[in-house]
Amino acid sequence: MTSLFEGVGIALGSLRVHKMRAALTILGVAIGVMVVMVIGSLIAGFNKGLSDMLETLGPKTFYVGRFWGGAGNEDPDDPNPWRRRPPLTIAEAERLEQLPTVKFAVVDENANADIVFEGKRLGAVSIQGRDADWPKVAGGDIYPGRSFSPLEDKANAFVVVINIKVSEQLFGERDPIGHRIKIAGLPYDVIGVYDPPTGLFGEGDQNEVFIPYGTLVKNVPYRPDWMDFFVAPEDSVPIERAIDDVTIALRTMRGLRPGQPNNFDVVTQEKYLETVNSMTSVFKVIMIVLSMVGLMVGGIGVVAIMMISVTERTREIGVRKALGATRREVLWQFLVEAATLTLVGGVIGMTAGGLISLLLAAATPIPAYVPLGSVIVALVAAAFTGLLFGIYPASKASRLDPVEALRYE
Amino acid sequence: MSLAQQFRTGDTPLPDIIILTHKLARAYDMGGEVVRALRGVSLQIRRNEYVAIMGPSGSGKSTLMNLIGCLDTPTGGEYWLNGQKVSDLGDDALARIRNKEIGFVFQTFNLLPRATALHNVELPLIYAGLGAKERRAQAAQALERVGLGDRMEHRPNELSGGQRQRVAIARALVNDPSILLADEPTGNLDSATSGEIMEVFGALHRQGQTVVMVTHEHDIAAHAARVVTLRDGLVATDQRQAA
Repeated sequence: MTSLFEGVGIALGSLRVHKMRAALTILGVAIGVMVVMVIGSLIAGFNKGLSDMLETLGPKTFYVGRFWGGAGNEDPDDPNPWRRRPPLTIAEAERLEQLPTVKFAVVDENANADIVFEGKRLGAVSIQGRDADWPKVAGGDIYPGRSFSPLEDKANAFVVVINIKVSEQLFGERDPIGHRIKIAGLPYDVIGVYDPPTGLFGEGDQNEVFIPYGTLVKNVPYRPDWMDFFVAPEDSVPIERAIDDVTIALRTMRGLRPGQPNNFDVVTQEKYLETVNSMTSVFKVIMIVLSMVGLMVGGIGVVAIMMISVTERTREIGVRKALGATRREVLWQFLVEAATLTLVGGVIGMTAGGLISLLLAAATPIPAYVPLGSVIVALVAAAFTGLLFGIYPASKASRLDPVEALRYE
Repeated sequence: MSLAQQFRTGDTPLPDIIILTHKLARAYDMGGEVVRALRGVSLQIRRNEYVAIMGPSGSGKSTLMNLIGCLDTPTGGEYWLNGQKVSDLGDDALARIRNKEIGFVFQTFNLLPRATALHNVELPLIYAGLGAKERRAQAAQALERVGLGDRMEHRPNELSGGQRQRVAIARALVNDPSILLADEPTGNLDSATSGEIMEVFGALHRQGQTVVMVTHEHDIAAHAARVVTLRDGLVATDQRQAA
């Protein structure tokens, strides 16, 4: 332990004497560590955004859709397999909602239309047709105001919940509740303002309003046949059982015979996560490769500076050996010195990388965030680089013959 | 030499004999050609002796000094230091012996240039595994012993040649070694400073320290109580003299 502190002290002293040389070595390591930090924080931020989003959805909610492409399973001979599949219908959603294992099935249909209020026009706003349960799956808050009731939903009422962004543009500081806006030429009463949860891809940033499903289908021009459902199982029911029930119910309604494949897709959050993870794992591989290259460049610098240092200090090594330093003690001294170099580089790179990540998070919608884990990994990787690349020069120093070393001019 | 032990291979030295070499040899392989630097040196040095080793260059005195200092291992014969046979020890064991038994004083001082006098003197204690507080105290004491109590925080380049050599002597003494081993200790000093350093050696000898000194200067060797002369890798003369 004594010689550890000794080594750190010697290393810092040596850094002070050879500032330029040490700075270049440190820079190499710092850049490597910085790359690790920035990419790591991007991935961490992305994953965190994802899990935050899924959390607001409730862990058991799953998605039923006409076709789930997933990633990388396109068949070149059959580019549009969804063509053979019938669209989901509101009747199917109602049937699913009656299943004892299903708490609710929220339909989701959307369109784009213009909104007008007092002569102010917002173009191509996303109009979401949902049923009354939608706030339970969407997350976020409705304040001020409220969402539409099941009664309003059934009655296809002309009521609308607008999101904060729309509210700011149309109403500014005014309270939008109770005002009447026109969507696709028809008047709707504003009953609530929706504050969406932080989205993964900045979804909350777009202009979006929510109206009852039936109202949308009847009154807003939309691209049909792409309705999908968010299905939540009853609290006490395992998700697998609810999925089985939903699958059987849909197959029965669609008259599929045993052995015929499903002509709809059921996707759990796990599967969704899997798909996303398979995408981020590509990033991870790139990150690991980049950071390894960066650290290796730094490591080669470490070998160079340490070889010079060992040669320059041959006599010192001889003296230390004459005074009783064993091979291991000399080896340790130079290893600690190399690790101190890279650790200083690591701290600098980490600070720079952390700042860049924070800047990214503040200036762009990318939810970059620096997890403690990547701080530790970056520092350990930096110190390990020093130890690894310090081995050769350090062992060279430790094997010097004391008589030769003392005679060295 | 009647006091010397009649030593044969297999014997152990008498407890009073701190250095015993028996037919000590060292050969170097210089690219196929074997150079025999030492060809069988048998030498006994008792506790509290003050010995100068002399000889022209090429006589083998540096080789003998390296062997006595445990910096090198012989290719033949035996070397006993303070009752322990060290001629067949490995690298790390020799490092321990150097740390415990030997205090080196070099011609070129060999201080660490960026370290203070105090830190330089602390070095052997670091390798002895002492704690920082104890190290500091012992190193300060050793510096006071050589008259440098007021120069502890100075770096070597802030000290005169004589002061540097005193720091080196303090460093050699700090571990309380069995022998003080000096290699041309005045070679880089002017004659007045040389005199001062020789006085330090004399004082240490009077306090009971065993001193072995390699030199080629007769007036320096004259300070020792015994002069061993080497020639062609063998002991040529071995004389006691009045100090």
